Amino acid sequence: MPASTLSQHAPPQLVLELPPETAFLPSAAAAAENAAQVFGLDSGGALRLALAVEEFFAYLCRHAGREEPIRLTLSQGGTFTRADFRFRAGEVSLRALNFAASVDLEAGEDLELGLLVAARTTDRCGLTRSGPDVFHLHAEVDRVYPEAEAITTPQRLSPPLRLEPAPTAGTLQHAALLAAGRYPARLRPHSFTRPARFADMVACGQYQALLALDTADRPAGLLCWRASGRRAVVFSGPYVFDPQLAQDTARLLTEGFLARVARTEVLCAFSERPTADLPQGWFESLGNLTLRGAEGSESVEQPAFFRHLREDAGAAVWAHPDLFPFLRREYDRLAFSRDLLAAEPTPPARLPEHSLLATSLDRLRSLAILRPLLDGRDIEASLKAHVEAIHEQGTSDILLHLDLSEPWQGALFPALSACGFVPRLVLPHAGASDMLVCQHAVHS
Amino acid sequence: MPSIAELVPEHIRAFEAYTPSRPDPDLMRQYGVDHLHRLNNNENALGPPPNARAVIEAFESRRSAIYPSGDCYTLRTALSERFGKDPERFLVGNGSCEVIASVIKAFCEKGDNIITADKTFAVYEWVAEFSGFEARLIPLNNWAFDPDAMLAAMDSRTKILFVCNPNNPTGTWWDRDVMERFLRGVAGRAIVVIDEAYCEYVDDERFPDGMELMERHKNVVVFRTFSKMYALAGLRVGYVCGQKEVVDYIRRTHIVYSVNSMGQPAAAAALKDDAGHIAATRLMVAEAKALLLPAFDELGLKYVSNAGNFVMVETPVSDSLIYRHLMRRGIMVRTMTGFRFPNWIRVSMVQLPVMQEFLQALREVLGIVAGTRT
Ligand SMILES: Cc1ncc(COP(=O)(O)O)c(C=O)c1O
Repeated sequence: MPASTLSQHAPPQLVLELPPETAFLPSAAAAAENAAQVFGLDSGGALRLALAVEEFFAYLCRHAGREEPIRLTLSQGGTFTRADFRFRAGEVSLRALNFAASVDLEAGEDLELGLLVAARTTDRCGLTRSGPDVFHLHAEVDRVYPEAEAITTPQRLSPPLRLEPAPTAGTLQHAALLAAGRYPARLRPHSFTRPARFADMVACGQYQALLALDTADRPAGLLCWRASGRRAVVFSGPYVFDPQLAQDTARLLTEGFLARVARTEVLCAFSERPTADLPQGWFESLGNLTLRGAEGSESVEQPAFFRHLREDAGAAVWAHPDLFPFLRREYDRLAFSRDLLAAEPTPPARLPEHSLLATSLDRLRSLAILRPLLDGRDIEASLKAHVEAIHEQGTSDILLHLDLSEPWQGALFPALSACGFVPRLVLPHAGASDMLVCQHAVHS
Repeated sequence: MPSIAELVPEHIRAFEAYTPSRPDPDLMRQYGVDHLHRLNNNENALGPPPNARAVIEAFESRRSAIYPSGDCYTLRTALSERFGKDPERFLVGNGSCEVIASVIKAFCEKGDNIITADKTFAVYEWVAEFSGFEARLIPLNNWAFDPDAMLAAMDSRTKILFVCNPNNPTGTWWDRDVMERFLRGVAGRAIVVIDEAYCEYVDDERFPDGMELMERHKNVVVFRTFSKMYALAGLRVGYVCGQKEVVDYIRRTHIVYSVNSMGQPAAAAALKDDAGHIAATRLMVAEAKALLLPAFDELGLKYVSNAGNFVMVETPVSDSLIYRHLMRRGIMVRTMTGFRFPNWIRVSMVQLPVMQEFLQALREVLGIVAGTRT
């Protein structure tokens, strides 16, 4: 089948079931390299993915359960190729799945650096859990797209504006470059300066985009969003191209965006990269995060905005009593009715020895997000090891998400606090209930 | 083994289930209030008309052991007398929501579409979409259904056009002329459903009566409900009326025994003495509007108030934030984001003391949010 027809069908994928034997390393790596090329990566990108797959697989051969094969799914995500390993933890210690499992606990055993190496060759990677002992380890490598010059010439547009819900690739690329010309890099998706990538992301549903056009069908503004979990979307924008029409454009886009997500399963909209053009009164401020970003960039205060798309029926959340003052203040400020249930740490004797933390790394944004998957006696030590490993690896910002529907997660707060994490934001309904975002304190 | 999700068709997986609000005692505890005024569902706060009330009060518990009439025989006879039509031309459902599904099932097959407005009662769109049919949503024009744009959106696969007259939530309605022109434009090519859930609230010569239109336009089907004016929402009775042939087809897809034993006689009784009840309800709505609308003007709030026992008000901040603050004061309104009117709330018109309490709460809430606007 010629590669050009791929995008017209369901996203193509290649699925392999591999016994956890290192003898199959070449099969896994060859499949990854071949699939990545068919799915549109250049040979460099395909090699990077193959390398990650090799590292992951070698790692899983040592640590995954042996009762069933490891399933490797290679799929095309439009602008990237993804390798996903599904495996059972089995009887093997889960500790090895920690991103930082080896860093200080088993210093010297460089074999265990597999995940770190893999992390370096990919654009994004992470661990998730999909059942009591079913886990997924995934890695993504992006296709390379040509960079284009941002458009900085002032736009003089003629109202009235209208919304274009299904913009063509050409108009999207034009709009992305206009946005790149008017907004700094941290306020827009990276793909705006690789506009063909942005258009592809929209074409394959990674992003949704809404465009405002003027009477001559020229782009007047853009707002884009993507899913974040099943129940939330995160948006970037609104971007307006003619400052004279800023208010009207922003309002039209915001209203259109909300109309689009309102009757879907989405519960909440959160800002990812909100611009100053976001109209007043449409979103609630959740607070700020201080992000240092990639090396060489200045740290910025990133505000977080939120909008609930439903009527809130109230909820209960679990948290360690030390968190109550922060939570009470936030819930009261936001007028959310929540029952705060006290979650005390489980006595060490009743905990397994090892905890498990999932790490997602986004190298472009120099951002790591930690999520606790399993509690264990070593959680504090493991957190410390993760922070160190992530910093060493060159990533500057570390967030930690706690799902407050889980008592044991809410109870972790003293351990987090001891490792330098401070509570920053409550994200209503972002997890099974509300999510608490903690940030590793920025010592400078 | 496939996961449960893999057994589910794509259009169901993508579909958002309606989440009803939690029971009052739960909500009251959660929001820390000792009372709750429900101004969110356009219910009639006066309660059912006297005859219906008597039927409900006289209902003997042992009748609960007996199945109801499977086809609502007595209620259809009452409807037949009231509207002077053959009883076979009425099909009663568990609320008119149920008959929406029956009509769509009867007329649509794979590849077909329905046409309605983008900002109207959501169930037409929902049922079409979870059944796997395209819903073409035509933007309102000046708060009202746009007849020309709806006609323009029709194609050979259009099977049903849903017109909510008066429209929930804007209260706008097509007069006889607009409706006639529209029906001539459709020219029998598709079924036209006129949802008259709120028709008893309109007191205007120019309002077109669907019951009369269907005699000249054989493709017209009318929905009515006992949930709104007749205040029987809890008993779930609504119905569809049309030409006999059309109703025959709809009946084939419809569930029998879906209407309960208390609802059937209560609805029949409600029809018998409705004049006084309707007048009293209209008066209550008029008094509520006379209180609220000038107050909204004074507060600088934009509102949309036309037919029906509800008013839409624009809020300076997110409707869901206003909702939470009002709930803390024992007032429940409907947020309009889900109707594609972000930053609007819809308020049911009820008795004056409650309207005054609502107004007081709204004033307080506006004061609070004015200080924290983002
Ligand atoms: C326009 C419209 N149609 C139909 C209904 C459904 O009424 P029921 O199912 O209670 O008969 C409603 C209720 O909100 C409505 O607003």
